[in-house]
Amino acid sequence: MAALRRILIGATPEERARYESLVEQHGSPLLLFDPSILRQQYRALTKALPGIDLYYAVKAHPNEDIIRELDALGAGFDVASAGEMDMLMELKISGRRTIHTHPIKKDQEIRDALRFGATTFVVDSIDELQKLTPYRSRVGILLRVSFRSDQAVVDLSRKFGCEPDQVPAIIHAAKGLGLHIKGLSFHVGSQCSNADKHVEAIRHCHRIMQQLNSRGSSPMSSLDIGGGFPADYTLEGLDIGVFCAPMREALAELPDDWHLLAEPGRYLIAPAVTSITTVTGKSMRHGIAWYYLDDGVYGSFSGQIFDHAYYPLQVLTEGPCQRSILAGPTCDSIDIVAEGIELPEMETGDLVIGHQMGAYTAATKTRFNSLPDAQFIHLPESSAEENY
Amino acid sequence: MKHFKETLYDSICQEFRIDKLYFEHKTDFQHLMIFHNAQLGRVMTLDGVVQTTEADEFVYHEMMAHVPLFAHGSAKRVLIIGGGDGGMLREVLKHPVEHVTQVEIDQAVVDMAKEYLPNHSAGGYDDPRLHLVIADGMDFVRESREQFDIIISDSTDPIGPGEILFTENFYAAAKRCLNQGGIMATQNGVPFFQPDELRTTWKRMAPHFKAMGFYCAPVPTYYGGFMAFAWGTDTPSLRDVDPQVLQERYAGSGITTRYYNPAIHSASFALPQYMIDSLNEVN
Repeated sequence: MAALRRILIGATPEERARYESLVEQHGSPLLLFDPSILRQQYRALTKALPGIDLYYAVKAHPNEDIIRELDALGAGFDVASAGEMDMLMELKISGRRTIHTHPIKKDQEIRDALRFGATTFVVDSIDELQKLTPYRSRVGILLRVSFRSDQAVVDLSRKFGCEPDQVPAIIHAAKGLGLHIKGLSFHVGSQCSNADKHVEAIRHCHRIMQQLNSRGSSPMSSLDIGGGFPADYTLEGLDIGVFCAPMREALAELPDDWHLLAEPGRYLIAPAVTSITTVTGKSMRHGIAWYYLDDGVYGSFSGQIFDHAYYPLQVLTEGPCQRSILAGPTCDSIDIVAEGIELPEMETGDLVIGHQMGAYTAATKTRFNSLPDAQFIHLPESSAEENY
Repeated sequence: MKHFKETLYDSICQEFRIDKLYFEHKTDFQHLMIFHNAQLGRVMTLDGVVQTTEADEFVYHEMMAHVPLFAHGSAKRVLIIGGGDGGMLREVLKHPVEHVTQVEIDQAVVDMAKEYLPNHSAGGYDDPRLHLVIADGMDFVRESREQFDIIISDSTDPIGPGEILFTENFYAAAKRCLNQGGIMATQNGVPFFQPDELRTTWKRMAPHFKAMGFYCAPVPTYYGGFMAFAWGTDTPSLRDVDPQVLQERYAGSGITTRYYNPAIHSASFALPQYMIDSLNEVN
């Protein structure tokens, strides 16, 4: 996978001065949040998927500043735990604008969600349906169906989701329990390279729902197409409008009165956060230059372990390149941010910039070695924001 | 937020325009809001659900206080569980009772209601007959040695802090605090949308009383038609107090009401057939 990592060498004097002044001001390591990029992403996805209600997957980066920005844009929120709901409640966001998407829940979790005001729940088994029976007059249920994608970097249909051919039996069981399943949901995986699997899943769900609706008296009307919208980790200029074009076609075939939802996380927030980490020490070992950074895979780069993401890295100096390794600050040997890369020689105090660092980065950081977290910096509004 | 959308049900919801937000606070136990709405006056919500509005609270509070109190006829000691907004206290104190204990779990609700819903308690919190206890209602009935003629459980819904006030243990413990000839009344939701609640209460409460049943009143902002109140006593005749006697007690009390009257009192025990059918499913 290392070959996929994009390395940028050098920076404009302005760019370099900007990063250096941020570190001077706030210290290091940092995560820089640029709200204007989040807004651009949100608008681009809204445009790419017209008529679909977007529910930001809070788990991607559960940060109050980010949530506030999305709240102002009118986004909904996809939550999966009491902690996430608590955060939204603190920000006075109504549960009415959220969906609870964890397919496996404790009873207390369901009760907490209902108190918070989330009434849409996701199930993928009869066992899970039964847990909702005491609350049947209040809840709306989406049945999660598994469509596995061999192209997704993270397969989210292995652990959760029923097989498509199980749907009629589960719908039947729901009826017996006095529960209404209002629609289907799927999650083809994370960081998809194309929308083929989405399209297949949309068409398949369309067929299943139409078939069942033609027989049943209580029609299903919701389709949640999950996430999987990719971040541009290779910095090749991803066009989400083009990525979603086949989906738009499949979605256009659905009845007008269906409610369409999506749960984007990564696409929205990844490019809006940039990391800064500092070289705290260096050594030359077996002909390879080792640089020790003040942030690593137990911190902001945790996504390299948990999320299989390889963030584009940028060094600010230029010069002849040599084989190098960027290591994180903990004492563990797994704490390697990048190896097998060619970098110009750096000095202690030099900065290494991580791009596309917004999704599943700080979200999965650990407490290992009791190292301090990268500080989250909400960048001031730039006047350069494009108008959509 | 310029509108409040209730979060009770997934496929339907009532929405209120917020004309002025007076108060919004996440307390240790619950998320509380008070705002003004042109049609309803001040509205209090808890955890996304309407609790009381100035325009229609009289239906709820009158029916939950006056039905047991006039049926009893000579109640001296009353226990209110919950009811932090003060509306129940106001109605109970209209009767010549000697003592009221109110057990509310959250001091913040009382403080906020006194400030922002003053018409609910109407000075009730300053009445010398009141003993206000900030405690869990369940703990109180389990530990108290006091006895009461009337117990009113003016709780939130069964999901949340009011949960324990819908348990069999609570009904049993509360029963022990009732004097002979005493009556217990509890709010029991809107059975049209929440039929399970009606059945669950029936199953849990009936074993502890010689006579247990429900009576009804429509509270407009608890939408869905009739709200049910559960009623339990060991003196079955209290359910069917002679209308003439009720009339005399009502007239004699000098209490003025806007929903309650003796005819409504008697009629409220007649349940719509869908509720009877729903209860029959239990048996």
